[in-house]
Amino acid sequence: MTVQTKPNKVIVCEGNEAAARGVALARPDVVSVYPITPQSSLVEALSQMIADGELDAELINAEGEHSVLSSLQGACLAGARTYTATSAQGLAFMFEPYIRAPGLRLPMVLGIVTRDVLSPQCVWGGHQDAMLVRECGWIQMYCETVQEILDTNIMAYKVAEHPEVMLPVNVCHDGNYLSFGIARCELPEQGLVDDFLGPKSINWHVALDPERPMAVDPLTGGSNNPGPAMFVRYRMGQTESMGRALRVISEVHTDWGKRTGRHHAPLIEEYRMEGAQVALVTIGSMTGAAKDAVDAARDSGQAVGLVKVKTYRPFPAQAMTKALANVKAVGVVDRSVSFAWNGGPVYQDTLTALALAGQRLPIQSMIGGLAGADITQEHFERAIARVFGLAKGEGSTETHWMNEKD
Amino acid sequence: MGKAFDSIVFHGKNCDGCGDCVTACVKAKGGSDALSSRIKILPDGAGGFELALCRQCGEAKCVMNCPSGALTKNGDSGVIDWADDKCVNCLLCTVGCAYGGITYEAQIGHVIKCDQCGGQPACVAACPHDALAFSTIAGIYNSYGDKEDMFAPGLSACQGCNSELLIRHTMRRIGPNAVVAAPPGCIPGMGTVGYNGKTGAKVPIFHPLLTNTSSMLAGIRRYYERQGRDVTVVALAGDGGTVDVGFQALSGAAERGEHILYICVDNEGYMNTGMQSSGSTNYGSWTSTTPVGPSLKGKRSDGKNLPMVMMMHNCAYVATASLSHMEDYYAKLDQALETSKNGFAYVHVYAPCPSGWRFHSSKTIDICRLGVETNFIPLWEFTPKGGLRFTLPTENPRPITDYLKAIGKYRHLEPAQIEHIQHLADERLSLLSKFVRDTGARPAAE
Amino acid sequence: MGETNYLVVGSSHAALEAVHAIRMIDAKGSVALVTRDAHLPYSPTVLPYVVSGRSKPERVALRDEAYFKTMNVDFVRGATLVGIDAKNRTARFEGQPARKFDKLLLATGAQPIIPPIKGLDKVPFHVLRSLDDALGLRKAMGQAKRAVVLGAGLIGMHAAENLVEAGLAIGIVEMQGQVLPGYFDAKASGLIEKAFAAHKVTLKLGRKAQEIKSGAVVLDDGSELPFDLLLVSTGVKPELGYLEGSGVATERGILVDARMNTNVEGIFAAGDVAQAKLFQAEGTGVAGILPAAVEQGRIAGMAMAGDRALKPYPGHVSLNTYTFFGQQAISVGAGVAGPVPAGAETIERADAAKNAYLRLALKDNRLLGAVGINVSLDPGILWQLILRKVDLAPVMDRFQADPLAVGRVLMSRLWR
Repeated sequence: MTVQTKPNKVIVCEGNEAAARGVALARPDVVSVYPITPQSSLVEALSQMIADGELDAELINAEGEHSVLSSLQGACLAGARTYTATSAQGLAFMFEPYIRAPGLRLPMVLGIVTRDVLSPQCVWGGHQDAMLVRECGWIQMYCETVQEILDTNIMAYKVAEHPEVMLPVNVCHDGNYLSFGIARCELPEQGLVDDFLGPKSINWHVALDPERPMAVDPLTGGSNNPGPAMFVRYRMGQTESMGRALRVISEVHTDWGKRTGRHHAPLIEEYRMEGAQVALVTIGSMTGAAKDAVDAARDSGQAVGLVKVKTYRPFPAQAMTKALANVKAVGVVDRSVSFAWNGGPVYQDTLTALALAGQRLPIQSMIGGLAGADITQEHFERAIARVFGLAKGEGSTETHWMNEKD
Repeated sequence: MGKAFDSIVFHGKNCDGCGDCVTACVKAKGGSDALSSRIKILPDGAGGFELALCRQCGEAKCVMNCPSGALTKNGDSGVIDWADDKCVNCLLCTVGCAYGGITYEAQIGHVIKCDQCGGQPACVAACPHDALAFSTIAGIYNSYGDKEDMFAPGLSACQGCNSELLIRHTMRRIGPNAVVAAPPGCIPGMGTVGYNGKTGAKVPIFHPLLTNTSSMLAGIRRYYERQGRDVTVVALAGDGGTVDVGFQALSGAAERGEHILYICVDNEGYMNTGMQSSGSTNYGSWTSTTPVGPSLKGKRSDGKNLPMVMMMHNCAYVATASLSHMEDYYAKLDQALETSKNGFAYVHVYAPCPSGWRFHSSKTIDICRLGVETNFIPLWEFTPKGGLRFTLPTENPRPITDYLKAIGKYRHLEPAQIEHIQHLADERLSLLSKFVRDTGARPAAE
Repeated sequence: MGETNYLVVGSSHAALEAVHAIRMIDAKGSVALVTRDAHLPYSPTVLPYVVSGRSKPERVALRDEAYFKTMNVDFVRGATLVGIDAKNRTARFEGQPARKFDKLLLATGAQPIIPPIKGLDKVPFHVLRSLDDALGLRKAMGQAKRAVVLGAGLIGMHAAENLVEAGLAIGIVEMQGQVLPGYFDAKASGLIEKAFAAHKVTLKLGRKAQEIKSGAVVLDDGSELPFDLLLVSTGVKPELGYLEGSGVATERGILVDARMNTNVEGIFAAGDVAQAKLFQAEGTGVAGILPAAVEQGRIAGMAMAGDRALKPYPGHVSLNTYTFFGQQAISVGAGVAGPVPAGAETIERADAAKNAYLRLALKDNRLLGAVGINVSLDPGILWQLILRKVDLAPVMDRFQADPLAVGRVLMSRLWR
């Protein structure tokens, strides 16, 4: 095993550049790009690296996101490791090829630099785009820091290409706060990443290769056997692989930690949950401010902890219920909206997981950070207070809109 | 696979009975007078002429009837060879021939027949009126016939569909080192991509989305080039996935000069799903979404002429083709295939659809030909360097009504609509003509 | 016991065309071609030319061993069919193991008729039906000076001409009043007889051989024709002994339907052994000519292999071509030899200077038949005009004036 021996090269960069550098270290064969705010500087960085000869990859300047993902699916079927990233309307436009990648079992990595979606017309951060595609069969991991963006993009390839997974992965990082937020970032050595990822294993199962001719995606289903049963088996295979992905993600994070000394929580991170009476559940970059609020509350003697969701799809239900086994109330903070339930998507998943585990406790959905709004430490302090109230049977569990009156 | 052979073709309407062919034959083969000619031109009694000549039959009755082994079908040339030293003059061969192709000539004392002069028939060379031609198209068919069919037998295309003919011939030419994209439509509908885990092709083949054929192929080709592999990537796409929803991806790939061979099989609509109108559907056409009734009389706008649009992308190669003119298509396919190694090659093949256009399934190739002969479907090719070239110009086009009347989807047309379509065809030809480089109509760019 | 999907007995035109037709459809099924002959396949029609020396016996083969190898056909020579068990689908051979078959084609041809003439059994004589016959006759011819030919059919006439060319003095005896009866009318035959007479052939027409004495044929008028070589060519008939007890129905030949199937499903017959439909008359008959054998063999093969392109046998049309001393005679169809059929009309033209004669028989604006001596005709085209019942009304005058050219124009059009 190659482990980091020399001191890390340290750079200071924005999250988009960290993503680009992480991707470049994974040596993709084909990169297809189309700009969109707030993703643009990410693909600009990749393009520049290719222009400078730092990254040896095919660059496809596609005419839109639909073709971006389509061209990468073609390349992936030919055996290429691929990359692109998008946001909001770009994701919406690539939705048609997006929804077929998991069924084709293409181990792609697609960055979502999260942004709120139209309308109202908006170009600022929020998780609405990534959350809208949460049921499409992609693995989704949400980053908290610039460093985690770099590391997760590398780990994402290992997860996607794992023979027990073979599913596409979204590495999500928050538009604005992470995409443009500048921070210290350690760069692993290329040799370490090469050794970590191992040989490329892209199209051993399904391929478009004259040396191994096959029909890719013939019509499957209809009213006669074996069509529907075959379709069902494909679907079951996808969900089974999603289940295995939870273990694989954990193993990959452990492996990465051993090599680099950077141990990111793979599924969820439990922060100061020892003896916690209440907890916040967070996702993405908001977690930093939330942790500050938790620290402050702990300093003032309040037994509050935090659970950060790293892997959102598949949903780590077991880890979540275990983490929340002993709290009396929970506040789940989402940066997006589920219009069906007048709450946030992470809230629903948490609620479902707890209900399945038979853990009945007050939970409140809190929605903040839409359209680039800041969720400050003060917002979280107020949130913690609310959850303590809930634990005492005070206040309503109606959805709380954190930035409503900012 | 059987072999096809070159043959002497007679275009009776060009013949004026001058007899030059007969003279040339007698001279070439030796003999005293016209009686000893192997080719006989006969007045039909109505001012025209007919021909008696050996057809070099595949299952030749003269050969079957020969008791002495004097007549044999030559497996290389296809000519029925006659061996003087085996012939016994029994004349049973003349019983077998229904065309007067082998005849007893008393002056010579034995039967005589055409031997095609060893591949350079004197009669054809002598004909001053293009009434005789020596067709060597068989060579092309042979070279295609010898190649492996890349599709499974028994594709379930509609009766009379020429798309199956097109894709089989196309992929025979392209061969196994290729990846085929067949976006949703008639071509996968007939089973090329297979069903339920079974494939319909021997080459790697896939369903792209209706919208992303060009992009997916671009990605495949890019990666193989990166690997140093020259894998041909081919689209066998309908007009819906090309002219309509697939157009953005197509345009983008063409703009980037992706190394793709894109073949659009244009049956002017969504024929696989019940004959709905597409952007390629021609003005006036009945379709299930441009129906005919008291208020509507078929499609109200002109079809988008995609080959012209692709020409304006300055693609490395653009061509139109019609399967009534296979030699023309083969030549274009060769060029497109070659071009696709370094640039974007687009071939637009008109594919009349018996099911959707409402004509008898036996008439498909006739309709293809009428399209060309009326100039509704001009056959041309374009390269950035050479400009546009009409490959089979129709100098005396038939009226557009000959084409429209043969097709049920135009049955309802009113005179004004017919006039509009005639005008459209004329204008299109006129516009295309302006891109012909050597007329001086357009200044040379390179 | 051998097992064969397609068992074909016989090795001449009908058998060979059947094998070809079977292989067009079925590349895999086992095919055996079994003949009693010791030679590679040949045509009986070529035998007079073997006699004359024009055809070298080693060059008359219609197929060679390589062909059978390529076509994956088991070619077995020297095996005579002696019996058929239709129920157990088995054919028995002399000198070969029996074979089980799925489909059987009987294309065993015909054998010479030996007429019951007093004394014929006491003298050596020749027939001409096999290659060995031809070689024997050729050998005998070299040592003989005077020959008598019994029967003025095609084989007899051909042989007589060859014997004349070899320098022998020839007498021909024919029961009927003309040579080649059945194909030509008296006028046409007269021109042929004239040519033979010019070559000093003694023609005894309308005469029967009463007795064969050593060295002479005694005719029914008491006259004698001396010979040191006797050729019996009084016709042929199928030999059907092997069908005894098989249940396969026969009359003069094996009765077949329009698919050449006998009354036993899966057992077929074609060629000179078969009694099939007639095109221009009611009932059935044994055609006994090469073009019919080709046609019937092909149809039988298609039927055996289940070729869906099979078109039923339309029936036999009388056909013959004949060259003699550099002249040619053609006969196609009906109404040209015997009496004129009811409702038909005939057109005759003769050109004594050219030794030419033409007779057309027409009915309801359709061609019935044609005979030509030294007239250029395309017998194949005339055959088609009859079979297709082409309406000649629009071109009748021109057709009568020039059947060759107008026939060609008509077929040229029909072909396109």
